[in-house]
Amino acid sequence: MTRFTADVYQNEFLALGATDVDAVVTVTATDATPVAVAAPTAAAEIVIVDASGSMVSPFGKLKAAKQATAAAIDAIRDGVAFGVISGTEEARAVFPLDGTLAPASDHTRARAKAAVANILPSGGTAIGTWLTLAHRLFEGTPAGLRHAVLLTDGQNQHETVEELEQALAECQGHFQCDCRGVGTDWEVAELRRIASTLLGSVDIIARPEDMVADFQATIERAMARGTPDVALRLWTPQGAKLGFVKQVAPAIQDLTDRAVPVDALSADFPTGAWGNESRDYHVNVRVAAREVGDEVLAGRLSLVVDGRLVTQALIRAVWTDEPGLSTRISREVAHYTGQAELAEVIQEGLEARRAGDERAATFKLGRAVQLATAGGNDGTLKLLRRVVEIDDPQSGTVRLSGTVDEVDEMSLDTRSTKTVRVHDTGP
Amino acid sequence: MTGDVALRCPACGAPVLVDDNFCEACGTAVLAPAKRVAARRVEVDLAVAAAVSEQGRSHSRNEDAFHIERVGAEGVVVVVCDGISSSSSGDAAARAAAAAAAAVLVAAVGNGGDLAAATGAAVLAARAAVQHVPATRRAALALPSCTLVSAAWRDGMLVVGWVGDSRAYWLGADEARQLTVDDSWAAEQVAEGRLSAEEAFADRRAHAITRWVGADSVDAPQVTTLAPSQAGRLVLCTDGLWNTAPAPGELVALVAGLDANATPASVAHHLADAAMAAGSRDDVTVAVIDIEGGEGAQP
Repeated sequence: MTRFTADVYQNEFLALGATDVDAVVTVTATDATPVAVAAPTAAAEIVIVDASGSMVSPFGKLKAAKQATAAAIDAIRDGVAFGVISGTEEARAVFPLDGTLAPASDHTRARAKAAVANILPSGGTAIGTWLTLAHRLFEGTPAGLRHAVLLTDGQNQHETVEELEQALAECQGHFQCDCRGVGTDWEVAELRRIASTLLGSVDIIARPEDMVADFQATIERAMARGTPDVALRLWTPQGAKLGFVKQVAPAIQDLTDRAVPVDALSADFPTGAWGNESRDYHVNVRVAAREVGDEVLAGRLSLVVDGRLVTQALIRAVWTDEPGLSTRISREVAHYTGQAELAEVIQEGLEARRAGDERAATFKLGRAVQLATAGGNDGTLKLLRRVVEIDDPQSGTVRLSGTVDEVDEMSLDTRSTKTVRVHDTGP
Repeated sequence: MTGDVALRCPACGAPVLVDDNFCEACGTAVLAPAKRVAARRVEVDLAVAAAVSEQGRSHSRNEDAFHIERVGAEGVVVVVCDGISSSSSGDAAARAAAAAAAAVLVAAVGNGGDLAAATGAAVLAARAAVQHVPATRRAALALPSCTLVSAAWRDGMLVVGWVGDSRAYWLGADEARQLTVDDSWAAEQVAEGRLSAEEAFADRRAHAITRWVGADSVDAPQVTTLAPSQAGRLVLCTDGLWNTAPAPGELVALVAGLDANATPASVAHHLADAAMAAGSRDDVTVAVIDIEGGEGAQP
């Protein structure tokens, strides 16, 4: 049985008249036995591979995608229900053929890999139809842990934004989906939207030869999850207003809009399946100001596992007239505020660069360099160096690079939401 | 951002765009097959068997489909289908039929089942799968349908089945022959003695097929069985290939230049190249299986 703990980091002291309460809550899961090991039939996996005509070129992309899909299939544990979908402007179940999912075995894995080898790319890209088919296939299984991995090389050109949104709305909460873009013709914002709605990650696979390792790792991570369905439950006092709930590590994901009301004062925020891992959340609540010395509970964060509340963390507010107490900012809150701004300025900076607004791009990306330096985001800094020439990292003085490899730009964009954890950054 | 440059002009080295026939710099005609290898051809290479499929210049989508699979140490299953252009969703029909038929044949090869019976069952499965293909595109056209040619190889026994005009050829060391008889207007005229082959194929109705896999066609394939005594190659193809080289001897001539030990993949690519070079505008699909000769068996 997975055990969850929650730790709160905050400065609970507010100046007189202040209303904003910020806290970082670290949630840690331990002792998870992977569902795929404990009860394979409780897990289902679907691999969705782009089979649009563009996969044929450049020569080798398709072959690499097929190899990656085969590696993913090999990573599915015995007994787990699985299937493979090939996607064009419509979706097709290439394995099994009968509209179900098959229990994984040496025989079914071999059949699935043969089917994948024979995929002939043709036609366009309508990702909503792929997700809709995956949803339908998942609905036919009793499995509680439902995970898909989606590989695409292109933009969603053969359906409208509304069609995709409708498909996403229908799939949301029914399965998780990690998205991977290969090459540079896909749209980062589009895949990010799909992945974040379906509680998955998004990443670029810059080189086709890296697909195998990535797909394998993605499936293995999914298979290692021990608790299929976990939600954060946040209680806030009457009259309080929720500012935001954001996952801030391992990657930034705003959960605010996902709130499912439980009662007048509580809402659930789905977080998907958990393995042995730790995630940080930043909660911002606005409460009514009180008198000096008053203390209120500004929020109570608990976890809902299988419909039961398992742990809780208290977010407090105490009003003080001692500036020495109220002006101190929690190190955790400060760190993740910086991390969130970092992701934002990278995305805005790249957007400005694409739009030809060099001034805005230089300013935003300069700020990104400054934040990444302060936050210890070495990986992000490395990616930033491929887009800008850095004169002074501390002050964020940069010049835009003349020529930028598209892969580098997309890698920076895709990975802008990856954060470093506050407790790993220093003593 | 650069465009999708697939290759460079052989004469001057300037980049040539994928969909152009001529070099933008010097006007040199760029070899079509080499260009399309990069842009439109798909291959599956299983060493003892291989298949390639290339979308035709006049098609917006590849309406051919295939499925090749090894079964155990020795067995091989190949299915090639050609979606019928006048039907709606011919491409989807071909893909569905190839996958469904292959599933039945793979099971039979794997569990020792009767391959001729399985070939009949495979066509039934293909037909059922095609019936589930929605006729969404251009709904006014005929129901989704396709041709099908299959080969199942196990223990020195080769069973070939077909519906329509996709073909199988045996290219042996001493003899080459066509194993299939087209379900087509021309083939029927010849079979019934009404016209000579030359007259029949000159008619504009020549290629109209008389049987197909779909909701509105017959259920049973034609089936032929052989037990090759000598090593050879089995070639399965759609009319995109055989329209340019219909006689078995012509196919033999096309691969004569290749090394005797050429792999199935290189033979398949070579035949597809030849079809493209001969001006085929149709989708071309070629599957090749290397067959070891059996001991004492008769062809």
